[in-house]
Amino acid sequence: MTVLDSGEQRVERQPARDLAPVALVDLLDRLLGTGVVVAGDVVVSLAGVDLVEIRLQLMISSVRAAMEQGEQGREAGSR
Amino acid sequence: MTAPQPPVGVSADTGRYLYAVCRGLDAAAVDSVQGIDGATLELVDHRDLVALVSTVPLSSYGEEALRRNLEDLSWLETVVRAHDTVIHAAARHAPTAPLRLATVCFDDAAVRDRLREWYVALTDVLDRVDGCSEWSVKVLVPTEAPEPSETAAPTSGADYLRRKKSDAARRAGTAEAATATAHLVHDSLASHARDSRQLPPQDPRLSGHEGTMVLNAAYLVPDDAAEAFAGLVAGLGAEHPDVVVDGRGPWPPYSFAMLEQR
Repeated sequence: MTVLDSGEQRVERQPARDLAPVALVDLLDRLLGTGVVVAGDVVVSLAGVDLVEIRLQLMISSVRAAMEQGEQGREAGSR
Repeated sequence: MTAPQPPVGVSADTGRYLYAVCRGLDAAAVDSVQGIDGATLELVDHRDLVALVSTVPLSSYGEEALRRNLEDLSWLETVVRAHDTVIHAAARHAPTAPLRLATVCFDDAAVRDRLREWYVALTDVLDRVDGCSEWSVKVLVPTEAPEPSETAAPTSGADYLRRKKSDAARRAGTAEAATATAHLVHDSLASHARDSRQLPPQDPRLSGHEGTMVLNAAYLVPDDAAEAFAGLVAGLGAEHPDVVVDGRGPWPPYSFAMLEQR
């Protein structure tokens, strides 16, 4: 079985490349996971320093926490 | 000691949010693109590199505020979408290294400092992704339907135990076979890609997928080989009818913009 979503990549001569949309979950994989430009989990406070980044782990646990809250909400609603 | 004054033209209440670093991007290519909260997208250059930035309020994007806001999934989704919109627009026109979500500098001088500091690594990344796109391929094992003969109630305790044992053996066999298929698919695709990366299987609660994800991988494929790669994905799906081979792309090179730790 094959699911192949290639977007509209066959476009005749055009300067810009055509790129397909990315699902939210795939973006989260990449933006919170391995697809990071700055390696390491730098957290720099605003006091006197210019870069603010957030611990990867913190972000992932935040997503989980939000989802668990959402699920609890749904479960409570279905009772 | 007095606190340092913010540079001219920059408010202490705002920061510069970085989306991506590009090489050779024509500013006109992104002039209709908006940043987070509809902010104007601006370019900060250093030598042949250009960072795409917009102004964000530190009341929402400062360190403390981010910790709070990132726990709000709808806030996170809005920012992720805006981030992706900018990266898509840039990657259509120039080699692009996407930045991780929520990279915020105080001002443009700080952005230039980052470009200077990362110059060699960024140049390496941009060389690697130039003329290439990311393709995502996932392998999913559909949830098994019970054998028709086994749906009747067990006739005895021994029968129940026998069934339980055979179910467990079948599941283990299926899992083993699926893992082997995932390896085959990945090896075959990786040998046709410039680079590849395996990501952890997705949480079905986030992705909504059914069955078991045994491969979640990204491949960096030259654009002139995209058609052949898509054909290979389709061929692998036909070769392995017991699994679903889900290929998507072309995407900006999200998984291949990682700078090496130095």
